[in-house]
Amino acid sequence: MALLGPNGAGKTTTLQMLARMLTPDSGSIQFKGYAQKDYRPLIGFLPQHPSFFNWMTAKEFLSFAGKLSSIPKSELNGRVEEVLTFVSLEEAMTKKISGFSGGMKQRLGLAQALLHKPKLLILDEPVSALDPKGRRDFLQLIEVLKQNMTVLFSTHILHDAEQICDEVLILQDGCLKWKGSLPSLRKEFDLLPIKVQTEEPMNGIIEQLEIIEAYEYIDAKTVKVRLPEHVHPNELLQELINRNKAVTHFEMMHDSLEDAYMKVVRQ
Amino acid sequence: MSRFLTLLHKEIIELMRNGKWIWLPVVLMIIGISQPLTSYYMPQILDMAGNLPEGASITIPTPTGEEVLSGALSQYGTIGTLLFVLATMNVIAQERQNGSITLVMVRPVNEWQYLGSKTVAQLALLLLSLLLSYCLTWYYTNLLFTSVDWKLMVSSLVIYCFWVLFVVSVTIFVGTILQHNGGIAGVSILFLSLISLLTSLLPKFMEWSPGNIRGEAMKLLVEKQWTESAWVVIGSTTILSLLLFIAGVLVLKRYKHY
Repeated sequence: MALLGPNGAGKTTTLQMLARMLTPDSGSIQFKGYAQKDYRPLIGFLPQHPSFFNWMTAKEFLSFAGKLSSIPKSELNGRVEEVLTFVSLEEAMTKKISGFSGGMKQRLGLAQALLHKPKLLILDEPVSALDPKGRRDFLQLIEVLKQNMTVLFSTHILHDAEQICDEVLILQDGCLKWKGSLPSLRKEFDLLPIKVQTEEPMNGIIEQLEIIEAYEYIDAKTVKVRLPEHVHPNELLQELINRNKAVTHFEMMHDSLEDAYMKVVRQ
Repeated sequence: MSRFLTLLHKEIIELMRNGKWIWLPVVLMIIGISQPLTSYYMPQILDMAGNLPEGASITIPTPTGEEVLSGALSQYGTIGTLLFVLATMNVIAQERQNGSITLVMVRPVNEWQYLGSKTVAQLALLLLSLLLSYCLTWYYTNLLFTSVDWKLMVSSLVIYCFWVLFVVSVTIFVGTILQHNGGIAGVSILFLSLISLLTSLLPKFMEWSPGNIRGEAMKLLVEKQWTESAWVVIGSTTILSLLLFIAGVLVLKRYKHY
């Protein structure tokens, strides 16, 4: 699940409140089906800029964190090695954290959040500080993790959300603007998903076609259109061919997610 | 309990890795033994310092061992207190500033365990350093002056330890409120000196004051027996420290943001 929103929308604040790092001014947060008020054993949290005790080694830090989460001694060592292998830090586990790179710290942060097998994993902008390769690796880790637990992460990069999320929440000025799956967001807001280009100007033709629900000219030869749900895109192509237009470009646009997002935010 | 021990273990290792277990005992030892040494060599020092006319004679009465030990206690009271505050001031502020407190508090750790581990680790460090330093001072005092009964030495040290307890409690409490090292050290020292000042200005009303601890420890060395007033001061200091600790925990609980 991704939490989207412009800068200052309140994403970090929301996540910190969920992780009990920030006390809400009013209201309370409860974990459904968990009687105790302090639900911290159930969540794993990775802050935006995780900072560790730099004098510890990665392994020491995880053992320390594991003991605080009351992981039994017999399991602790195995568990620490397991998560370190999962985030591919097994070679650096006896090195001091102070010498870690940003990406390594981020992965260690993920390791500590996973250590106690939480039900809900909260990640605050987990990939925004990573290089392209690190970002891809990290997203793949999340892909694996979501099989076993709910992963809630914030980002302002739509592309990341699109790759791994089942559901998105769009936040602005502290209010939830929209929630649902990404395809339904596209359906709801994606107005003109087909782009057509012909050799001849199309003036007058598009207007006549009854199968077209809405259209927008980019120039005389290029137009973006939306078809009603029951109409197959091929019918549009057929109509154009029937009218002797040479179609040079026909595209189903998928990256219009950004437009939908902008519409939600501007609402 | 196991969480408390885990935190305590981490605190003690941290104090070792950042070298406090080395420099603090060393500095305290230097402060301690400088007292008997300078007392012993005072005539020579004055002589070497020069500027005395030829033939001038100075007679300095040789102090007794107890007086030298009291002198050492008074050194601990000034420079020592400053050191204690400086060593303790950043234990919480540092973790809040660099954000590492987040990764501790995101786990089921409560405020008692957190603050308790900090206080106990700090007390262990300071009291052990003080013990080493005081024993060394006692050894030199016995060597250079009249010897002091070890029971007296230990008793005066025990009384004095309560001053350290009070200093640590005050500094950690201020540390839960303020975020900057300078502010924490400043406010703590101001508060401690205010207590000492009030104690000497209003002796009638301040018999219970922790500021009397040093006086009681010295009195014990001179009179060679425990007095009732020592117990009063010890009792009130313990209670005050406990209250400060509880107040610190309450402040932590009220944090909106770690």
